[in-house]
Amino acid sequence: MSRDEAVTRILFEAFPTGEVRLFYVFAYTAIAVFLYGVYVQIRKYRRGAPLSLTGSLWRRFLEMAVTVLNHRSIARRDHAAGGAHRLIFYGFLLLFAGTSTITLEYDILNPLFGIRFWYGEFYLVFSLVLDIAGVALLGGLLYMMYRRGWLKPPKLDYARPDRSPGDPDFDRPQYRHEDWAFLWTLVVIGATGYLLEAARLVWLEARPDVWDTRWWSPVGALIAQALQGLGLAERGGGLLRHGLWWFHGLLALLFIALIPYTKVKHIVTAAASWMLRDPLAAQRLPRVPEAQETPGVAKITDFNWKQLLNLDACTKCGRCHEACPARAVGAPLSPRDVILSLREFANSTLESGALPAAAELDVHGKSPGQVAMETLWSCRTCMACVEICPVAVEHVPIIVEMRRKLVEDGAMDPLLTKTLQTITKTGNSFGESRRKRGAWAKSLPFKIKDARKEPVEVLWFVGDYASFDPRNQKVTQTFASLLSEAGVDFGILYDGESNAGNDVRRVGEEGLYELLAGANIAALEGASFKTIVTTDPHSYNTIRNEYPDFGGKFEIEHYTSFVRRLLEGGKLKVIKPLALRTTFHDPCHLGRFNKGYEAPREVLRLLGCEILEMGRCRDNSFCCGAGGGRIWIPDPVGQEKPAQNRIREAAAIPGLEVYVVSCPKDLTMFEDALKTTGNEGKFVVKELIELIREAIPVQRAQVAVA
Amino acid sequence: MKILVAVKQVAALDEDFEIREDGRDVDADFLIRDLNEWDDYSLEEAVKIKEGHSEPVEVVAVSIAPEEADEALRKCLAKGADRALRLWDGALEGSDPIAIGRALAAIARRESPAMLFAGVQSSDHAFASTGIATAAFLGWPHAAVVSLLKYTAGARSAVFRRELEGGLLQEVEIECPAVLTIQLGINTPRYASLRAIKQAAAKPIEVISLADVGISAGEVGEAGSHSHVRRMLIPEKGHAQLIEGTPAEQAVRLAGIIREFKGDAV
Repeated sequence: MSRDEAVTRILFEAFPTGEVRLFYVFAYTAIAVFLYGVYVQIRKYRRGAPLSLTGSLWRRFLEMAVTVLNHRSIARRDHAAGGAHRLIFYGFLLLFAGTSTITLEYDILNPLFGIRFWYGEFYLVFSLVLDIAGVALLGGLLYMMYRRGWLKPPKLDYARPDRSPGDPDFDRPQYRHEDWAFLWTLVVIGATGYLLEAARLVWLEARPDVWDTRWWSPVGALIAQALQGLGLAERGGGLLRHGLWWFHGLLALLFIALIPYTKVKHIVTAAASWMLRDPLAAQRLPRVPEAQETPGVAKITDFNWKQLLNLDACTKCGRCHEACPARAVGAPLSPRDVILSLREFANSTLESGALPAAAELDVHGKSPGQVAMETLWSCRTCMACVEICPVAVEHVPIIVEMRRKLVEDGAMDPLLTKTLQTITKTGNSFGESRRKRGAWAKSLPFKIKDARKEPVEVLWFVGDYASFDPRNQKVTQTFASLLSEAGVDFGILYDGESNAGNDVRRVGEEGLYELLAGANIAALEGASFKTIVTTDPHSYNTIRNEYPDFGGKFEIEHYTSFVRRLLEGGKLKVIKPLALRTTFHDPCHLGRFNKGYEAPREVLRLLGCEILEMGRCRDNSFCCGAGGGRIWIPDPVGQEKPAQNRIREAAAIPGLEVYVVSCPKDLTMFEDALKTTGNEGKFVVKELIELIREAIPVQRAQVAVA
Repeated sequence: MKILVAVKQVAALDEDFEIREDGRDVDADFLIRDLNEWDDYSLEEAVKIKEGHSEPVEVVAVSIAPEEADEALRKCLAKGADRALRLWDGALEGSDPIAIGRALAAIARRESPAMLFAGVQSSDHAFASTGIATAAFLGWPHAAVVSLLKYTAGARSAVFRRELEGGLLQEVEIECPAVLTIQLGINTPRYASLRAIKQAAAKPIEVISLADVGISAGEVGEAGSHSHVRRMLIPEKGHAQLIEGTPAEQAVRLAGIIREFKGDAV
């Protein structure tokens, strides 16, 4: 053996054969327990409904790998926790890889093929890297302990808004215990690793191949010298090394064995969840398969295997809990708790050897693990939860699929029932006659083309609120005038248009959605046009993302990007720059759903407005509360409405003059909230279209066109 | 055990409707059709009785109408009716509630249910007499405006409450078979999802003729009716004016009108 080969990791040195054998017994037991746990988990997922994935698996893997490695999703809106997790992740990854490499050489390559590489410079460099990795791991873990123990961010409080104190699953202390056990276990494994290293150095201080290279393990070397200073010598070091070796080794094996049974499994499930991610999860809801007898999810096994895996991916980080507008106003919903409830339910029913009877698999109700209908109906499907989830849990389709079952059972607010019946009968949520859909156009000084009868360049899909709501009709008329003045060749479908169905689908009334989408697709296909423009983000979303699933493939854009081009191309000219202090509210369906963040802001800038952003803007925009059909369900009296919460946020902007919206429902919600929060007179709510009109006054605009 | 539920596809006026050329009805183009609201409640009551009973109970929805009423019947099937019957013959055109009652009674004789439910009235013509006329032809006990019902399928009698004027309730025991006309609010009708309605389309609607129930063309329609619609008309508009302007302007104008009415000097 050369000197070089002597410089290597000391493994079982000085261990009697019996002890080495004993270690292998423990190691294989741990691996067996781990594998059994993995089997139970896979069996659990396989008890879910089938789902076939689309797209290339390789691309999915690549996206997952990039996201996991760069930690982008974990650092969002919580840089400190993201940074600490990054330290833990890379520390753990390196240490795990290092230990695995030792096993690879010692147990596989060397005994089978006589291959050795774990010595000399390679060993020394690796030793240094692992020592630094240990520091990273411990640093990250200690910050997490500080965060949980002292900072106590509210999102880490497991108390549930949908349960009351005293309920068996109110604040779930077992989660807290598990969190701390997880942190302490890793801290102890890391700390004993260093101590063990130090003890080994002291024990072998006489061996130059060990002692002279000690600074390649700087932390261990420092501790070793400290121990020497405290009087530890060769013999004491040997004893300490022996004891610590077993303690550290067994704890590490225990950790591995417990991975599938504890929160540690997120290492695997979170990564898998990312691989399975659907980038349009909330924008394009799943269809109900023709063969499925009853729509929606009634039993835990009605969720597909991916959704069951989603449940296990959740790390309780609370970002969705924090972002949820329903939770923020005290509604009995936290997206996190929906996921955790269902996870607890899945674990208690699907991990046993035999599948329980169907009656025990019902996920609807108020027992532990079940989800109450009040919780499901609190959801605005605003996508804030899906968007921020660092591990790609897709809450919205889970909630909507559960609602589909509620709709089938008629378990909903009577007013919602009425609205759905009204939409079925009249094709709109206002209960107005179909014939009146285009009535707002009558008072215009020009005629809007009927796109069913003559070809147009641009087909304007108006939508329910813009067509029937009196306040929004004014905006609709203004938009028509602007289009006309800009010389756009456009038309509408008049009574050929029905409610686009976006919100009907998010309510969970899939049959009615299919009817509406089918009617609109037929009407659109019967018209001749190049692109569709709409002022309604809800219609925009469903036509853009969901109609293609029903055979309707159309070019569509929201008016904000369309008008931006008209302004930039000089078709519309700003005559009177506004110089207003404005803030812009990103509508969920334009912003988060379809990433239309820039166009409305650019239009505001072109109009000469100053934009003062609210804290919650763009991807973190706060829902007005009207989404997911909630506009048809009255909010509880005495509880803050999401729109009020939002207006209060805007009211804190000094000198704000205009709260700008670009969605018909937003106009309704926020004008109401402005009044009910007592902010009337301080600033105004306006549709962006109204500001455009102010910047391009009517007469002069007409002169300009002439 | 069977409960027969008489239902009607009613018409509601669309915006800007026109009267038919013969002047006796609204032009069908301007009508929006739906299941009569009262019938929604009577069907729900029957389905609830069925669901609350361990023995099989058959709920049969029946309508005397042309094919377009199939939509309403499908809704009934979606909400839990087991069968749907539709009686139609051109001779039925122009029937008044007495003639419809005669036809319904004939169907009831054929089906021999333990109970016959009808709505208190239909929302379009509001005669409120079809159910009672049916009972008269059958010679069955009957009651109108039932707002609460205690009835076990197959029982010899039922107990119900009726709404009287002035907030008074009357509790009555009635022998079965009986005809009850059901009032709104007796229950909460369930929602029939579009999917359920679509699935109900697979269930057949049995179409029967006058001959099937043993009545002649002369007993129904114009010939078998005792009342005849002469014409439909839109009353002259009364004196009403819309006050326009800002809320402040509206208030000033309104106050002025009130003063005028009181005779105060303006």
